Amino acid sequence: MRKDMIQATDAFERVVHWSLAVSCIVLFVSGLGMMFKSFNFIGTMVGGLRILKYVHNFTGIFFIVSLVLSIRMWWKEAGTFEMPGDLEWMKAAGGYLWHVDNVPEVGKYNPGQKAFFLAVAVFGAAMGVSGLVMWFSTGFPAFAVRWMYVLHALGFLVLFAFFFVHLYLGTIGSPGSLPAMTTGRVTRAWAKKQHPKWLREMDESAKADVHAGGGHG
Amino acid sequence: MKAEIVKLIDTTKCTACRGCQVACKQWNEMPAMRTRNRGSYQNPPDLQWNTWTLIRFQEYVDDKGAFKWLFRKDGCMHCTDAACVKVCPSGALHYSEYGTVGLKSSLCIGCKECASACPFDVPKYSHADDKIFKCDLCLSRIRTNQSPACVKSCPTGALTIGPKDKMLKKAYARAKELGGDANVYGDKFVGGTHVIYVLSEKPEVYEELPKNPAVPASIVLWKDILKPFSLLVAGGTIAGAFLHYITHGPKLPDENGHDAEGKGE
Repeated sequence: MRKDMIQATDAFERVVHWSLAVSCIVLFVSGLGMMFKSFNFIGTMVGGLRILKYVHNFTGIFFIVSLVLSIRMWWKEAGTFEMPGDLEWMKAAGGYLWHVDNVPEVGKYNPGQKAFFLAVAVFGAAMGVSGLVMWFSTGFPAFAVRWMYVLHALGFLVLFAFFFVHLYLGTIGSPGSLPAMTTGRVTRAWAKKQHPKWLREMDESAKADVHAGGGHG
Repeated sequence: MKAEIVKLIDTTKCTACRGCQVACKQWNEMPAMRTRNRGSYQNPPDLQWNTWTLIRFQEYVDDKGAFKWLFRKDGCMHCTDAACVKVCPSGALHYSEYGTVGLKSSLCIGCKECASACPFDVPKYSHADDKIFKCDLCLSRIRTNQSPACVKSCPTGALTIGPKDKMLKKAYARAKELGGDANVYGDKFVGGTHVIYVLSEKPEVYEELPKNPAVPASIVLWKDILKPFSLLVAGGTIAGAFLHYITHGPKLPDENGHDAEGKGE
């Protein structure tokens, strides 16, 4: 392991992240196949729309489990805002949208990431609940089930759009971010630019010390 | 599209013999299921996956204190603007060439969306088949110039079927002839149903009969607004990310020697 790399995520975090990511993508694709007649061919590809329904429903279970683990794991770091620092960052939009001379420093997760996490947590939970009601709809009053469809569509609207924001900012929009979710290690230079407060905290507690030769070669 | 057809149910001529109920099961090869005495002739208590039409028995005392026994043949109303067709993801529920709502069972994936969308609570789910069932107005019979099984079996003339304009004229003439509270039910909502009633009492008197049925607002919000909007928002997000990349540029670590900030604005 290189000396200028620091550990951003542990293996468990990455496994949970990718469980959530893969289940989300499968749910998007299978959901689109059922939501739009013009995407019905997605069903044909897996052997019929009925099979697509089962893929969607059972991936939903996998998604709910991943979501619960994600919320439990990241709630402390990403679920709460630190005022006034986070508010300052928000006012500057993190320097993402217009030129900001000095972007207010943020910790491990910036308020944009926190907002994203909370949106996924809230709408993801809404998707899980509404999806289960739709799946077992015979046990609920028709009136309530109809609004679950509305909620499910609204959740899709939010999560599908956010998915692309996340994809962009996790890759080409912010080079150097992706390794946080692949190898788990990011460069010091990246951390200094993106999360200076976090880097400082890590340095102070000496957590950023990379123990070379720790079995990773 | 052929000429629209309408089935007229004249409840004032119904004797509740339930011949239609049995004929429907026979023609559609739907098994009967064991039931129990609930103190009513209405049996089974509601429409089922294997009971597509049902005579409802209702004891009613009008405001003058007169006792009436109301019989109403329940089943699919075959809406022109059908909520079930609107929500069906597979095209199993569709409009037939007669304007009625057909059901291609082989396409049904058992999502049950129609069951909650229907303002008349008609489509019923079978757990064993993981499919939805409902009346298709005997489409296979109509296509060969046969009347539906229920109409064929009706001994009193309560059930008749024919071209839409002719049946509507007949219905209104009958309601006028009956006078009082008698009215025609079905042509004024959901674009006009292809099953219409002549009712002897006001619609709100009848059990399980919505007074002003409509495609639910939630279904309209879901299918007509959120559904197209979701793709629009996703497309806008992708476009926005691309614009951000080419105008503002990615956020790079300073050490890389790039001035990543403030390129576009």
